Amino acid sequence: MNRSWIGFLASLALVGTAWAQRPDTIVIAQGVDVTVLDPNNQLETPTANVLANIFDTLYMRMPDGSARPWLATGVRAINPTTWEMTIRQGVKFHNGEDLTAETVKWNFDRVIDPARPLRISNSWANLASVQVVNPTTLRFTTRNPFPVFVTRLTGFFILPQKYVTENGNRFLQEPVGTGPYRFVRWVRDQQFELEANPNYWGGAPKIRRVIFRPIPEASSRVAELISGGVDIITNLVPEAVNAVRASGAADVRSVPSIRNIFLILNTQNKPDSPLANPRVRLALNYAVDKRTIVKNVLGGFGQPTGCSLNSYIFGYDARSCQPYEYNPTRARQLLAEAGYPNGFTMTLGSPNGRYLNDRQVAEAVVGQLGQIGVRVELRVQEWSTYVGQVLERRIPTDAVLLGWGNNEFDADNSLYSLFFGGTVRGGPRQVAFSYIRSVPLDNALLQAQRTTDPEQRKRLYLDALRVLRAESPWIFLHQQEDLYGVARRVDWKPRPDERLFVADMALR
Amino acid sequence: MAAYLIRRLVLVLVVVWGTATLAFFLLFLSGDPVNLLLPLDATPEVREQFREANGFDRPVWQQYLSYMGRAIQGDLGISLRNQTPALGLVLERMPASMVLAGAALLFAVIFGVLAGVIAAVRKGTTLEFVVLFFALLGQSLPVFWLALMLILVFGLELRWLPISGYGVGPIPGLPAFANLILPALAVGTFSMAAITRLTRGGVLRELRSDHVRTARAKGLGERAVIYKHALRNAAIPVVTVIGLQLGNLLSGAVITETIFAWPGVGRLVLTAVTQQDFPVVQAAVIVFAVLLAVINLVVDLLYGVLDPRVRYA
Repeated sequence: MNRSWIGFLASLALVGTAWAQRPDTIVIAQGVDVTVLDPNNQLETPTANVLANIFDTLYMRMPDGSARPWLATGVRAINPTTWEMTIRQGVKFHNGEDLTAETVKWNFDRVIDPARPLRISNSWANLASVQVVNPTTLRFTTRNPFPVFVTRLTGFFILPQKYVTENGNRFLQEPVGTGPYRFVRWVRDQQFELEANPNYWGGAPKIRRVIFRPIPEASSRVAELISGGVDIITNLVPEAVNAVRASGAADVRSVPSIRNIFLILNTQNKPDSPLANPRVRLALNYAVDKRTIVKNVLGGFGQPTGCSLNSYIFGYDARSCQPYEYNPTRARQLLAEAGYPNGFTMTLGSPNGRYLNDRQVAEAVVGQLGQIGVRVELRVQEWSTYVGQVLERRIPTDAVLLGWGNNEFDADNSLYSLFFGGTVRGGPRQVAFSYIRSVPLDNALLQAQRTTDPEQRKRLYLDALRVLRAESPWIFLHQQEDLYGVARRVDWKPRPDERLFVADMALR
Repeated sequence: MAAYLIRRLVLVLVVVWGTATLAFFLLFLSGDPVNLLLPLDATPEVREQFREANGFDRPVWQQYLSYMGRAIQGDLGISLRNQTPALGLVLERMPASMVLAGAALLFAVIFGVLAGVIAAVRKGTTLEFVVLFFALLGQSLPVFWLALMLILVFGLELRWLPISGYGVGPIPGLPAFANLILPALAVGTFSMAAITRLTRGGVLRELRSDHVRTARAKGLGERAVIYKHALRNAAIPVVTVIGLQLGNLLSGAVITETIFAWPGVGRLVLTAVTQQDFPVVQAAVIVFAVLLAVINLVVDLLYGVLDPRVRYA
């Protein structure tokens, strides 16, 4: 290759990456592209991460997990099935349209319209009607008490009524919101471009231009970050942490995520399953060394847990959620007391690649249970088959590894959805994945759904957590951490809800 | 000729129908898309509603018949994830895949034929050994490894070329040239190696043949002998392979497109398969079946042009 040829290639490269590292532009790479432009008709994190810069929600999730007024200025419960909401004044959509109580009512009517269900409609099935009281006040009537009303508002985006009703299809190509960034263009699988909204009600954002790029392959994302082609990458794999740190161009930033990882124990997989004995389940919890797993399998990115909640979630109690200590001697003792001095054999299912190093975590558990004489056979399965079996309660193994995120940051989602056993007379049938049956537990979970008083709900969830502690229904492992690669020039802290709010970012 | 063409076109339809049917039932066997599309905490009632709304609750033969009925009218369904027509999503990404396949093929043909001729002419020298070594390597390297190595060397170490993406080219809809180079190399290497070996064999055979000996005997220059007499006759099997490779290049760039974040059909299909977006997978399968059947037909017709002895009846 002669010199001029090299020069030619080099000049091409300059053309190709000219837009990277511009002082007023940030480039963010996620694994997948946006799917649809209607934020209330999707349930995907990468899509919501982009659209949340264009659209505002009524409430905003805070880094500690709490919800704070945003486009709404406040909400109060009038009685268990009536809520009153006040709306921020002077907010305008990018096309100049005003935000009013009428706009908000129209948005809710659109979501609860039974004739045209949207992907988020299910979360609002409890909402019966919305009335406008005056231009800044609304009244919500629910069918049953709706304690998660406020927390669900953090996922409800506000669309411009006039623009959507007058140009429905155009809205799905050129979305308009009230958010800190305006839509510029979207070329599918290539890039999604935004520009700052200088008239944003919360103040003009610092970064002028934003480009979201979908880069599916994890190692390509890392290479782009190190070469300066992109500024932030999501889902950094622990294996790439050292390469990013050594590059000098970027840092690794992490945040404990809302997702907990655990092993569901299937007490009904075989007749007289040892797992039906609470002492055996407690022994298994003592036999797993969570700290070592987090340190060696997750590169230190995780926190051991002792329940299905974590500190972000309303209803969490540090004492009842303390990780079970690692104590193999006590575990062996408990097994012997339960009548299994020589252990037993069981099977464990695990996905491969759904959660951070999931298969390796399962392998570590297999090794540790082996230490107390419990011989575990691991069965790794493809995710779509796996999740179907879990959801339909057709788990073919004695245990399965599962992760649980919680969009609502409320214990209802991490306790009722996982453990409600359907034992309450006249109450709902079983909805959850747990195999234990406890009337006090079910009563507490159901009552907490039917009251809107936060203090009373906290007490009820504490009761539930105590029952769970006594039963040790599953093997609780850890809370995951989300890993990001972030260019040195970017000032930003990752959030537990995985959102990528560019208005929170600055370029140094 | 006309009868032959009609017969072949009917065959194309049969192939496309067969492929679509096979794909439909294979996808059906792969599980229920509702479980992947809805969050884990969706209630059983919500799942049931979603199944009904999308027709997944009906018996499989009913789903099949209604799908085929609509497919004949050109309606290949709505993407479950993107909520837009599946066929549109596939066709939208076709240009990117074609540009990549075209560039890879161009690279493979130019360098493959050149290397093949060199290896044949320099038979027995170190040069031949080097060419053959790389040809063997080119056919044995897994494409994902090659792609990552190219990124590492040219994107990260030397910083000569962009690592991923389509870039913005001078012509709207076409990629930046710099962005095209690495993916085209990754995709084209296997074909290039195949063409090298085939060209070498063909040219070697021709160089030993009577007409080449005659050409040399009448005092023709060596260059003319090789390019006019040996290579032209060695071209027929190479054209066949190029036709076959084009199909491979178009449909087989799944991994390369994913690694280089290339906005092509392969990457779309990979995402759709993992997310069980049935309509998109199905639409892509049908589009590729049509495309490959047509390419094969064109190659068969080309034989007649290249080799006057071939007759169609």
